[in-house]
Amino acid sequence: MKKLLTIALLLCITTIANSQIIRAELTATGLTCSMCSKATYNQLISIPEVEKVEPDLNNTTFIIHFKSNTPVTISNLKKKVEDAGFAVGELIVLFKLDNQLAENNTSFVLDNITYKFIDTKSNILNGEVKLKILDKGYVVDKEYKKLANMSNQYPSYVGNNNIYHIKAL
Amino acid sequence: MTEPASNMPAKSFGIRNMNALMFEADGKLNYHNMPELMWGINKKWMIHAQGFISNRQEGGFETEGGSLYAKYRFFSKDDLKSHFRMALYGRYSLNKADIHQQEIETMGHNTGYEAGFIATQLLHKVAISSSLSYEKALDNKPNYKFPITESNSALNYTLSVGKLMLPKVYTSYKQVNVNLMLELLGQRLNENKKSYLDIAPSVQFIINSQARIDLAYRQELYSSMIRTAPNGVILKFEYTFFNAFK
Repeated sequence: MKKLLTIALLLCITTIANSQIIRAELTATGLTCSMCSKATYNQLISIPEVEKVEPDLNNTTFIIHFKSNTPVTISNLKKKVEDAGFAVGELIVLFKLDNQLAENNTSFVLDNITYKFIDTKSNILNGEVKLKILDKGYVVDKEYKKLANMSNQYPSYVGNNNIYHIKAL
Repeated sequence: MTEPASNMPAKSFGIRNMNALMFEADGKLNYHNMPELMWGINKKWMIHAQGFISNRQEGGFETEGGSLYAKYRFFSKDDLKSHFRMALYGRYSLNKADIHQQEIETMGHNTGYEAGFIATQLLHKVAISSSLSYEKALDNKPNYKFPITESNSALNYTLSVGKLMLPKVYTSYKQVNVNLMLELLGQRLNENKKSYLDIAPSVQFIINSQARIDLAYRQELYSSMIRTAPNGVILKFEYTFFNAFK
């Protein structure tokens, strides 16, 4: 047991009981017109844990409000935008965290999903904090390539589909 | 008139009605009505089923045939307010009307098939599309054989430019969008090298971000082949039901 605890500490993985995802700001790419935006809106609103979607047509951004106490599956957002025919250019998620250490290559688990910090200045995060998802398909290609070239600093970034890589803004 | 390389949203369903009023040289007006059902299967595949009704032949309105169309989007690169897409498409049509011109048109005139490639580039408010396709005419069964003296296959090419004109700034999904479009459509018959080139300016209204009305005028620029009624007005209505399928 002690050994397990030590391993957990070494990996800096923490599971936080009071944390949750409150909101997401998603910028979709590949579209301009309102019909495309509405197609995306209708896909996003069909996700069961989504309570409300506020579209910004001029910036092709959607503010997505989640139902409280409902686990949020980030990958559903990406899938639905792609089903509408477009892609995710930026996804910023508003988390509620409880004294979470944010340091490169440290992570936490929320609703059985692991979030790992990269490209982040060391910090303690408390309360409502904006975290940007950096994985492939959640950022524009240029940004993905830049981070993929830093694999010596962030070894888990490329080819790891089980965890999300996040940056504290 | 040409489909873009982009697909309709996955699990959505669309209805469309195309109306073409084409002028014959002797002053007769041909009315073609083409109702169409459209289904976005997933982000890559969509299919259409279409019927062809017309009063072109003696005896007034008649259902002359129908077609199945499928499009596969195989490449998509999206960036902020821009995209580049490429798709392959195919159509198989049946038609029982008489064969009355050298032009091959599997949409409403010939039994046959068309297979093509289309690319679309969106740059902010401007979309440019271009397509290239091979079209083959077969016999219009049961009564009309394709004449063996005529070319039964053709290459088609299109180039279109469209621009979102209104609104200048978006405030809601309820605003009417106005697009202007200009399209060039050409065909070259493979065996006798005869060809035509048409121009089709159009205006598009998008209502409630869900319904679309297209009004176009198609005008022949030149032609070395026999065509019955190349010029005319086209009016198209379209409505999309989002998330129609679970």
